[in-house]
Amino acid sequence: MKKQYAFHVDTERCIGCFTCAMACRNYYHQVEGVVWRQVHPLSEEIYPHRERAFLSLSCNHCEHPACLNVCPVEAYTKREDGVVVHHQEKCIGCGNCIRSCPYGAPKYNPVEKRAEKCSLCHERLDAGLKPACVQACPTDALQLIDLAEFTETNEVQYPAGYPRMEELNPSTRFVLPQTPKMVRR
Amino acid sequence: MQSMEIPLVLFTVFSQAAIGLTLMRAVRTTADGPVDGSGGARHEWRLIAGLMLLGMIGSLFHLGHPLSAPTALNHLGTAWLSREILFAGLFTGVTVLAALLAGRAGKPVLAWVGTLLGLGVIVSAGMTYAPPALPALHNALPFTFFLTSAVILGSGFGSWFAGGERASLMARIFTTALVVGLVLNLVAPCVWLSGGTVMRMTGEAWLGSSFYWAHVAVLAGCLGVVWKTRTIPSWLPVAALLGELVGRAGFFADTIHAAANMGGLY
Repeated sequence: MKKQYAFHVDTERCIGCFTCAMACRNYYHQVEGVVWRQVHPLSEEIYPHRERAFLSLSCNHCEHPACLNVCPVEAYTKREDGVVVHHQEKCIGCGNCIRSCPYGAPKYNPVEKRAEKCSLCHERLDAGLKPACVQACPTDALQLIDLAEFTETNEVQYPAGYPRMEELNPSTRFVLPQTPKMVRR
Repeated sequence: MQSMEIPLVLFTVFSQAAIGLTLMRAVRTTADGPVDGSGGARHEWRLIAGLMLLGMIGSLFHLGHPLSAPTALNHLGTAWLSREILFAGLFTGVTVLAALLAGRAGKPVLAWVGTLLGLGVIVSAGMTYAPPALPALHNALPFTFFLTSAVILGSGFGSWFAGGERASLMARIFTTALVVGLVLNLVAPCVWLSGGTVMRMTGEAWLGSSFYWAHVAVLAGCLGVVWKTRTIPSWLPVAALLGELVGRAGFFADTIHAAANMGGLY
């Protein structure tokens, strides 16, 4: 398998603190209303406990990205390490990627009048650093992995609460939340 | 409710009206030998070219950077939007050429070339608006909606140019297309109600939308008028056009995106 950087989301460890989303925002200073990483609480139908569980999601850097395939101006490229990069200077703001990505990763920037999305901090990766969101996570719930070297154990690709899109083959992997333990005195 | 995407509404509906008119022109040519010019080919081609140019200009307004629109042809390899723009550009070229060259009789070969290119526009538009992110439309429905709109508007406006002997042919096609459009629009949301969560949400959004019911009412009203009069009154295609515009606004505004339910059941 070729090198493929991916996010590893441990929902058992995630406490829904939004530090990952804030770190992304602090690092890139997106305009108001544009969010590259979002923390989604799992609905009670999926996780029926008083405690909550969360999915921290951004671009999944898919093997066959919908954004890349549908972009009419070739504003998206996939790097050797699997990172899907949006070249904003080429974008004409047609919104086709926004309409086509089932994970809602590309967003419309109303100031630039172009799309934008998570770049997996590829400049930081090239400098040997972790992505801003991964570095900021206080519980190590969010990790960067290389699927080519990663030995999956109890990870899943399509947890409940996340669209199953096999034709895209999203790279993010998840550890499912466990049932909360009841401590009786 | 999402954006109505008014520029895309104008582009898709006007282009489909132009394609439908071209298709009906070709059908009339086949049905009764060469067009005799009783309806005025030049006027018809001018209307077709005008609709197409209006749609193309309208489509520019949905771009953040309209001046870079020609670069949208860069990704013909995989992007259906690039292919749609290519077909639309070629079709517009043929319609303008036909409007310039047509005498009273017109040139049947241009109608057929235009029809083929127009079908290319409808197929590629059908693929563009059927992305995996819209589970209710990730199928052949956008194509069938667009083709039905093209035939309704084409036969409706085509009746203006059909002449007396072919008016009944246009009325028959118009009636059939209205029935197909009505059935499609009534059945699709009901089928979605038995689908996955996002598909069901789309069905509920459509059934609760004034755009949807206004469109259905116009289709049914047009059908009633044709049923009663057995002809297509000259004002009826305009009513049908307004109905299609409203219905298309609903198509964009009321279709739920998969990402809208992240964290919920799918």
